[in-house]
Amino acid sequence: MIPERELFWHAGPKTLFYLLSLVSVSIFFYGLTRHISVWKKGLKKEKIHLSCKSIGSVIKDGIFAGRILKGDISAGIMHLLIFWGFSFLFLGTIVLAFDHYIYHFLFGKKYLFFSFSLEVAGIMLILGLFLAFIRRYVQKIGRLENKREDFIVLLWLVLITFTGFFLEGLRLSYQNPEWKKFSFFGLLFSNIFSKDTAYMIYPFFWWIHVLLSLSFISAIPFTKLFHMIASPLSIYIKDQPYFIVPVEEREDVFTYRELIQIDACTRCGRCVEICPSSGVGEPFAPRDVISLIKEKIFFGKKTEYDPKLIWYCTTCGACLEVCPIYIPPFRIIRELRAREIEDGTRVPALMAQTLERLYKYNNPWVSSKKRTEWVKGLDIIDITKEKEEGLLCYFVGCTTSYETRAQEIARSFSKILNRCGVRFGILGRKEPCCGDIARRVGEDGLFEDHTISCIELFQEYGIKEVVTSSPHCLWTMKNEYPLLKDIDISFFHYSQILERLINEGVLNFKKGLNIKVTYHDPCYLGRHNRIFDSPRNVIKAIPGIKLIEMEHNKENSLCCGGGGGRMWQEELDVDVKMSERRIMEVYDTGAEIVITCCPLCLIMLEDARKTKGLEESLKVMDLNEFVLMALE
Amino acid sequence: MNIILCVKQVPDVTEADIRIKKDGKDIEKEDLEMVINEWDNYAVEEAVRIKEKYGGKITVITLGDEESEDVLRRALAMGADEAIRIDEEGFEGSDPRGIALGLYHVIKDLPFDLILTGAQSADMGWAQVGVLLAGMLNIPYATLAVQIEIKDKKVIVKRELESNTFENVELPIPSLITIQSGINEPRYVSVLGIRRVRKLKIEEKFLDDLEIPPDKVGEKGSIIESMKLMPPPEGKGAEIIEGSIEEVCERLAQIIKEKGGL
Amino acid sequence: MILVLAEHRRGELRDVTFEMLSLAERISKESPMEIASLLLGGERGFIDKLKDFCDRIIFVDSPELKNYSPEPYLEAIKKAIDATSPKLIMISHSSFGMDLAPFLSEKLSLPLITDCVDVSLKEGRLATLRQIYGGKIFSEIRLKPYERYLVTVRPGTFEPEIREKRSASVMEIPFQAGTYKRRFLEYIEEKIEDIDISSADIIVSIGRGIGKPENIPIVQEFADEIGAVLACSRPVADKGWLPKSRQVGISGKTVKPKIYLALGISGSFQHQVGMKNSKTIIAVNKDPKAPIFNIAHYGVVADMFQVIPVLKEKLKK
Ligand SMILES: Cc1cc2nc3c(=O)[nH]c(=O)nc-3n(C[C@H](O)[C@H](O)[C@H](O)COP(=O)(O)OP(=O)(O)OC[C@H]3O[C@@H](n4cnc5c(N)ncnc54)[C@H](O)[C@@H]3O)c2cc1C
Ligand code: SF4
Ligand code: SF4
Repeated sequence: MIPERELFWHAGPKTLFYLLSLVSVSIFFYGLTRHISVWKKGLKKEKIHLSCKSIGSVIKDGIFAGRILKGDISAGIMHLLIFWGFSFLFLGTIVLAFDHYIYHFLFGKKYLFFSFSLEVAGIMLILGLFLAFIRRYVQKIGRLENKREDFIVLLWLVLITFTGFFLEGLRLSYQNPEWKKFSFFGLLFSNIFSKDTAYMIYPFFWWIHVLLSLSFISAIPFTKLFHMIASPLSIYIKDQPYFIVPVEEREDVFTYRELIQIDACTRCGRCVEICPSSGVGEPFAPRDVISLIKEKIFFGKKTEYDPKLIWYCTTCGACLEVCPIYIPPFRIIRELRAREIEDGTRVPALMAQTLERLYKYNNPWVSSKKRTEWVKGLDIIDITKEKEEGLLCYFVGCTTSYETRAQEIARSFSKILNRCGVRFGILGRKEPCCGDIARRVGEDGLFEDHTISCIELFQEYGIKEVVTSSPHCLWTMKNEYPLLKDIDISFFHYSQILERLINEGVLNFKKGLNIKVTYHDPCYLGRHNRIFDSPRNVIKAIPGIKLIEMEHNKENSLCCGGGGGRMWQEELDVDVKMSERRIMEVYDTGAEIVITCCPLCLIMLEDARKTKGLEESLKVMDLNEFVLMALE
Repeated sequence: MNIILCVKQVPDVTEADIRIKKDGKDIEKEDLEMVINEWDNYAVEEAVRIKEKYGGKITVITLGDEESEDVLRRALAMGADEAIRIDEEGFEGSDPRGIALGLYHVIKDLPFDLILTGAQSADMGWAQVGVLLAGMLNIPYATLAVQIEIKDKKVIVKRELESNTFENVELPIPSLITIQSGINEPRYVSVLGIRRVRKLKIEEKFLDDLEIPPDKVGEKGSIIESMKLMPPPEGKGAEIIEGSIEEVCERLAQIIKEKGGL
Repeated sequence: MILVLAEHRRGELRDVTFEMLSLAERISKESPMEIASLLLGGERGFIDKLKDFCDRIIFVDSPELKNYSPEPYLEAIKKAIDATSPKLIMISHSSFGMDLAPFLSEKLSLPLITDCVDVSLKEGRLATLRQIYGGKIFSEIRLKPYERYLVTVRPGTFEPEIREKRSASVMEIPFQAGTYKRRFLEYIEEKIEDIDISSADIIVSIGRGIGKPENIPIVQEFADEIGAVLACSRPVADKGWLPKSRQVGISGKTVKPKIYLALGISGSFQHQVGMKNSKTIIAVNKDPKAPIFNIAHYGVVADMFQVIPVLKEKLKK
């Protein structure tokens, strides 16, 4: 006998099967179109471009689980097993259908190979499901949230797989073909029943298997299984260009991008595990916010959430770094803030007060326009007064201009530039807020105002090169200004300028410093602007310095808790502050000084040092202060 | 429930150094930001909340120069429907009655159920205009409201008295209520909100249109003959303890121990 | 004649009445005039209390006048004015006077200056002193000549004492109540669930200078250390950072501790009213021009957050 398999062996009625298949597939497509119609609402003028790079990402991170493997190998293996097992079995079914209806080719050796492969795929799937089960219910991995849905989906898959093998076993019991050893796994289930019993109960189990499988297909768009479709999309769109819709033209805050991302979230919880806010026990988890929004938008649930929830995020970006499908919860949360700001009635009082100050006085700190107090005693050109073309423009920024501790950044940096003979100037009293705070907290109208006034000022004074104190200003100017207006200006962070001066040999350290230091990567300098090495190179250029890295460094750096408007949201703080957690990590390195590169980090860490009683043993310094100390 | 709101723009002096003009009649306002009077902001929020609950229309009125359109727009962005600005020209140097007279001549022709004003203003702090206006319109009123409840054509106003005591009074409709700070939490007004109402027309009224005898307002109509501003008398009271923080605290500790009987 | 409107509530004559009578005495020294108290409703016992302070007591008794309401008060006051023809009428700038005075001014065409911290009458012309811009500026006002003036006087500004004892005659005016649009319903006293700051010996009080609620524990610890209770100015209570029952001032509590330590409080009059009778007032404020220094006995111009830790150490010893 030639090895082959008869489709619909001892099963039927076929018509009923076809009918049910049709129903199941229709439900699937109905569900799918519901998702798509929501995505389309967010798609206005933008076009989604075809990109090989993006396809590459989908293959790498989707099919080969690149990001899932990162940092959690067991999760990656589990996903690979389930994904590949499932895909092969699914493909197998299609091949069988092809073989049956279109062109019969599965016989002989080909069939044996086919059958063998499916056995392997089935085993992979079973192993993957087993691993999933262990991770969820035995290991009880913390980041996994166990909802009923998770259990049902897992059980469903297990049942489909096992009924499949069981059927195979029954068939083998009855047919007892000579090639049965190729169905080695299904064989385990044969011989449980006698040939006759197997024959008798076969149709019953066949229908169970069919019903489970068909309902599984129709359930995809309505459960977390939908990530099969949305997740690759989310990976694909990650490199599509961003847009900022002018506030007056936007209808809703979400664009297609956020909508797909919200839809794609698998609730894997990696973002919760890494989030500094969740980490110190604040009642916030990025995943939960996304889940809530998803339920609202895609499943029409009327869940009301605590409006406070959206103000916890510091927009540190750690979550994006770990999300297997590149979802940036902080961007989604930012859009939710924009909604709240527009509504106005639920904006936290302190935030409202800060924004009003920002609107009237162009800074979030004091009701005063005296922006240049820090300059006292220094000789610095005011570009708006002296009209000297081609100067490097030092954009001081609000916090560095007003906050007494942060003012030291500007003072030290200016002194270093003067020492190196760099021609530079500031915008003096005319310097506006860069718009970072407004943007991060969703006050997009104010952000537009700030952006426009900054750009106009740069253009009015022919500024071509800007260096900022704050990585936040840098990010905003470099990445968000061009989305509103075409500009031809290069933006730098001071650490880059210092590095340049060292490389050019203008800045050199004759004396050494024999100190152990550590470096805190500001989120916006590191993760957002990808500047990890410049400050380190500057530190290393000083002879004698021993730079010790903290447990969390570079892209894994821990947020100080000051970004995203949190500096002005202290009522959200819980017993442990993010900055305290960070300063303890500094302490663990045994370094005498922690160096940082951002005014907000400086203030936060300085504060944490005091509240943690480390005033004696530890110093917090800005990179400029440190460089100046080495020079003097 | 149709509501008329009277609001006013004042210089923000909370964190500012105030300088008095040479003639001693006014302060230097150039460096000061103009903001909505704190009490009026509470009044706007209260009006919008009443409207959200009972429907109706809010008309917001100010008497001031062109710049004071900002506070009207702010009120519109918060939820007011129409705005009227009575031009300041001719009203300069008015006493509270002169101002109330200007408002009266506009309001008397408008339909309304309630008038809300702030209890007082942060600049001159007269705390008169609301009640004067009620008197001119011949409607009942209550001042210093910290809670307003509307029940079948009646308004129950909780007034803040001294020493943690309050009283409830009942007013019919129409009536006037002046709002005390803390009655609510005013909503945030976004830049977008203000831009949205940028194009709404603000009705303008001038002294000439109002049939007010010109000698009833301005300096001529005022009961005040002259006003001289001065910085507060200095150093009258406290003995200022000087020195380093250490020294100061040493001395303070000594005083506290001695006077407090520790 | 100077007519002082006695203020009473819930069976008690309020201190400000005597403060105004003491001011009236001072004015009558410069321009000799009779001083009269106008008592509307209230209890007959009040007459005895007022007797020594004035030359005449005009008493209008009616149940409608027991609890203040503007319309019956207007009618009664009009009668009193007709009967006595005073030159100057004084009402306190309290929740009572703020409600009533502008109404009288409008209905009886009386020139009114509110919230005076000083009043004088020279040659029949009124001059007053006021504080504006939250007490940051003083303004001296001279009025045009009028037959009669109405002023409201800031409570807590004058000592409730007189130099010369007088002995008042009593005149009663009958009163027929009409129908009124505004109706008094009830008094409400906010429950005090918290500790009672008015009985404390040492009070550490914080104002807007505290900056944010997260800073409160710093001061709380300090207060606990020295056995003081924590109180605050209105903005702190408005924001809900401390319970309303901790608020000192005109709409909060009046306190008279042995020591009142004001941290980051500017010293607005509404606040001063509640604490100026403290035996020793110490103020810490960044702003050397803060009005609190005018009434404090000791002042420190500094950041409160620099002072507290050091002071705490010093007091520990
Ligand atoms: C009818 C009515 C009733 C009122 N009743 C009351 C009442 O009962 N009680 C009351 O208190 N108010 C009352 N008010 C409000 C009052 O007018 C003032 O607005 C209020 O008292 C101001 O409070 P503050 O001094 O704390 O704040 P501000 O006036 O804002 O003063 C803050 C002060 O802190 C100083 N400061 C800031 N930071 C620091 C620092 N780090 N170190 C040292 N100093 C610092 C600043 O220099 C400033 O002087 C009432 C108002 C009205 C109209
Ligand atoms: S950006 Fe940072 S704070 Fe915000 S959700 Fe992500 S990890 Fe948490
Ligand atoms: S956002 Fe990304 S990391 Fe967070 S739960 Fe969803 S899929 Fe996982």
